[in-house]
Amino acid sequence: MQQQLAQLVAAATQEASAVATRAELEAFKARVVGPNGSLTQVMKGMATLSKEERPVVGKLINEAKKSVEELLATLLVKVENAEIAAALGASVDPTLPSPDAPAGSLHPLSRTRERILASFRKLGFVVADGPEVETEWHCFDALNTPADHPARDMQDTLYMPKAFRSADAPRKADEAILLRTHTSSVQVRTMLSRNPPFRIVAPGRCFRRDAVDATHSANFHQVEGLWIDRNVTLADLRGVLDFFVKETFGADAEIRLRPSFFPFTEPSFEMDLRSPNLGRLSNRWLEIMGCGLVDPKVLELCGLDPKEWSGLAFGLGLERITMLVHGIDDIRHFYNNDTRFLRQFA
Amino acid sequence: MKVSFQALSRHLDLAGVTAERVAEVLPMLGLEVESVTTFGLAPLPLVVVGEIKSFDKHPKADRLSVCQVDVGDGAIRQIVCGAKNFKAGDRVPVALPGTVMPSGFTISVSKLRDVDSAGMMCSSEELGLGKGEDGLLILTPRQPALGTPLNSLFGAPDTVLEISVTPNRGDCLGIRGVARDLAAALGLTLKPLTVKTPAGLAAAPSAADAVKFVRSSSEFCPYYTLRTLKNVKVGPSPEWLRRDLEAAGLRPINNVVDITNWVLLELGQPLHAFDAKKVSEGIEARPAREGEEIVLLDGKKVKLETGVCVIADAQRPLVVAGVMGGAESGVTDSTTEVLLEAAWFRPGEIRRVARRIGVSTDSSHRFARDVDPAGVELASRLATDLLIELAGAQPAGPTVAVGQPPRADVTIELPAGYVAAKLGTPIADADVSAAFARLGFTVKASATGFSVLVPSFRSDVTRPIDLVEEFIRIHGTDKVPAGRPIAPLPGDEDALTSVFTREVSARLVGAGFTECCHYSLRDAAELERTLGADKAALVAMDNPLTAEQTHLRASLVPGLAGALALNLSVHADPHGLFEVGTVFRPQADGTVREFISVAFAIVAEPVTRSWKSREAFDGLRAKRLLQDAAALAGVASVRLSFAAANGGLWQADHAAALVDRGRAAEGACGVLDLRWTRSLGLKSSVIAGEVCFPRSAFAEARKIPRFEAFSSFPPVTKDVAVIVPVDVAAAEVESRVRQGAAKAAGKEFALESVNCFDVFTGPGLPEGHRSLAFEIRWRHAARTLTDEETNQALGVVIATLEKGAGWTVRR
Repeated sequence: MQQQLAQLVAAATQEASAVATRAELEAFKARVVGPNGSLTQVMKGMATLSKEERPVVGKLINEAKKSVEELLATLLVKVENAEIAAALGASVDPTLPSPDAPAGSLHPLSRTRERILASFRKLGFVVADGPEVETEWHCFDALNTPADHPARDMQDTLYMPKAFRSADAPRKADEAILLRTHTSSVQVRTMLSRNPPFRIVAPGRCFRRDAVDATHSANFHQVEGLWIDRNVTLADLRGVLDFFVKETFGADAEIRLRPSFFPFTEPSFEMDLRSPNLGRLSNRWLEIMGCGLVDPKVLELCGLDPKEWSGLAFGLGLERITMLVHGIDDIRHFYNNDTRFLRQFA
Repeated sequence: MKVSFQALSRHLDLAGVTAERVAEVLPMLGLEVESVTTFGLAPLPLVVVGEIKSFDKHPKADRLSVCQVDVGDGAIRQIVCGAKNFKAGDRVPVALPGTVMPSGFTISVSKLRDVDSAGMMCSSEELGLGKGEDGLLILTPRQPALGTPLNSLFGAPDTVLEISVTPNRGDCLGIRGVARDLAAALGLTLKPLTVKTPAGLAAAPSAADAVKFVRSSSEFCPYYTLRTLKNVKVGPSPEWLRRDLEAAGLRPINNVVDITNWVLLELGQPLHAFDAKKVSEGIEARPAREGEEIVLLDGKKVKLETGVCVIADAQRPLVVAGVMGGAESGVTDSTTEVLLEAAWFRPGEIRRVARRIGVSTDSSHRFARDVDPAGVELASRLATDLLIELAGAQPAGPTVAVGQPPRADVTIELPAGYVAAKLGTPIADADVSAAFARLGFTVKASATGFSVLVPSFRSDVTRPIDLVEEFIRIHGTDKVPAGRPIAPLPGDEDALTSVFTREVSARLVGAGFTECCHYSLRDAAELERTLGADKAALVAMDNPLTAEQTHLRASLVPGLAGALALNLSVHADPHGLFEVGTVFRPQADGTVREFISVAFAIVAEPVTRSWKSREAFDGLRAKRLLQDAAALAGVASVRLSFAAANGGLWQADHAAALVDRGRAAEGACGVLDLRWTRSLGLKSSVIAGEVCFPRSAFAEARKIPRFEAFSSFPPVTKDVAVIVPVDVAAAEVESRVRQGAAKAAGKEFALESVNCFDVFTGPGLPEGHRSLAFEIRWRHAARTLTDEETNQALGVVIATLEKGAGWTVRR
């Protein structure tokens, strides 16, 4: 009996080496431990044995059964491995490059814009917007710059023909329709449509009738801010701008307010920046933005009582800030869209 | 405006103040300094006056002369010279060996083509005196002594500050105005102006006068003065006057014109001088009559707009008032009698007329910025002094003023504490009144604060807030501290256009696209391609600057296609490009509407080779990106429908136009017109997509989604295939399937999805037909659906589909 069992296990072990698929495994399993399997037959023979023989033979059978079960478990792993290998195909070389294109990138002007907006959001300024094609009233008159005002000479304006009708900026009377020269027109629209207090920043595209060169572009971008509240002061303006500059250019950047003139602010200033981290432009005063307290006349034109309300406003050129932050020397790079430029800021 | 340090010193005692200090102080007053340059002769101690005793031709060089020069030290020097404009006996500047010229070149004893040369004779330009006549600077007419250092002939060099004057500061378009501000900032006192010609003007010419009338009948000329000067000797101006004009960037002409220009620079008041003999009877400021013309000083013939103010005699217009004089009545070398005009014209009108004629003169620039009415007569008197002194003129009648100065000094009531309240920092009353006093304003205490009398030269200061600016200019902005910390206002949100721009950009960047930024202004050809010629005309600008930038863009796609071509041409793989921006599209009602557009473009065949190939980007992936972009804008996919796009930017039969049932969005996707993209230099086809939304689409606040319960029971899925003519759109078939499947579910259970999983054309189908197969999924909220129910439901779908003409369900 003992010899018979040993032969059985040896035969099964030998047979197992040929098992490669799940079907072969099942067939093999049936041949050994199935109802008519070889081991099952031996176990059936137990009944014919004497009481004395049974424990001895039983032990031998159990050992053989254990061997067979181990053999089956090993085969199952082998078969499953073969199946997985077949499902996955050949192994990969993890050092090969991905054939897929990398993530894209935001335009440097967008990145700078979002950074600037994030700074002002911390101070409670929310983003406002308005049409790029504007009425003369929203772009100039409401900003205290009537037609015969010499401040209109400060910029050359692109106009649409008389027949042009804008769905977004309908005429109030028969004023001209133009391409906005600044995003200050959004300030006007906000003052007309919202009740103060509020703080807004208006990023957007502006246009001037300028020949294109290294520092001029027919269209450019501004970010303008407006804060209308009771008792807004020059100290508030300084606080806001100081915060912005330190956020954008680092804690060691300083500002100065240099008196200037804009028709829509009084007093008006140019804000200059000085920073040790601007490459060859380090440590000298650079003109960054115009700002001031909102002229009472503008509040009045926009339906706010200057006795109750006051405000501050500022406007910066997105291209200029981006050029300073990244050391870009020519504004035309922004509009050429050479990806060797664009991807540098990813 | 150019202001020299010496000119400022006429009005202020600047002892101990350097030009550098002035250049630092002016910007902080609001007078931006654009450049600082040296004017005149720099210190050149070794450049002296010499006399050319004799000269010969250089033996080896035709162009050179060998000169024998005496500089008064007892020795004759030999100097080789290339100039031709001298003769023996001329006195010229001689740079002795050791001189460092303004260019940095050092003069030494040397040989020129083998001939000894001990110094250099100099031209005006070599001395840094500007471009003079060709050749040497001939000093002979000045009769200088031999050996005189040139610096003692020319005086000390001056520093010229080019100041950018903002439009509100007309007073600083005269040197005295700049000096006044500088005095206020430095705590100095303005020197008084001494004028000998007495004040006082008659109301009309007397009977004895040659000029019979002086009048104004133009609303744009409320105040006009005229003086007559006889026995005028027109000639060159003296050295100091020429120098002052040149320092300011003006060209000397003759003493009369130079004097009017000098006074203009000094006081900011433009003057005009007529040749009295060319004036018929009298002078009138009047509206131009219909059809009148004038030839201006610059030779340009101008047809005058009816009603503009002209200065005319009895017969014709002589001057476009305040803008430019006529060629016929101006002062010439033969003039002996001068009529001197000093007037005040309405600023807005002068600006308008100057722009209309297309000229900007020193006069119009100043009149447009509101000259001081109180300075009109003063300027006239100062010019009279100079005409007497420098041109031998004699005052004669008439000396007339018509009208009245239109503005006077203004009193502003400044409430106590107002300045401090606007600055947000405490300010002592004494500091406020001291600052105003320094500016020449008269300050008096009043019941409620201060009464501030602002002289008429400051037309920009009329309100308390203007005084705040004046105070801070003098007080210094650096003394205002940064203000209070700020808390955000609750409930305020960014404009949804901004949120959308941010989100859609992040989505596209994640999908491998690189953001571009193109000009909004495009050429006519591009717009005609995008919109067709008729609609393109609706977005053309009135006054474009260049032929490349004449129209507003109606699509971002042409820019992106151009960028793909550019990048490929420089061998940079662009991968996918995208842009988010405003486009302008004509609407059915004739208006042009602004849309926030999102567009992307990519070449269909990969540019960079790879060891493993990927499925090419196609129009269907473009469609998915568009749908995702629309969803970010709040436009659900179910609202969008697609139809074949034909023409324009898109390739027929290979692109889709997108329509929003809610009429908010527009767009298209697919292959760009292949002829067009090939003409751009793109070999592979280009896949692009664009979807745009009117601003109004973003007007509604975003809804916060509400949770909806879903079933925990399994769905039942049924397939149905239908054969339809090829010209029936898949969307139409799908819609029919959806309709039948929803109807079959009724209120008992729910249609969960309809999904097209197979499209087949080929053998076994009737000619001109195709088969579309859909998977329909139903689900019950509270139980498992039975076979009977779903078979019945499928029957309803089949029945619905077979109502379509020529539609057969495959069984």
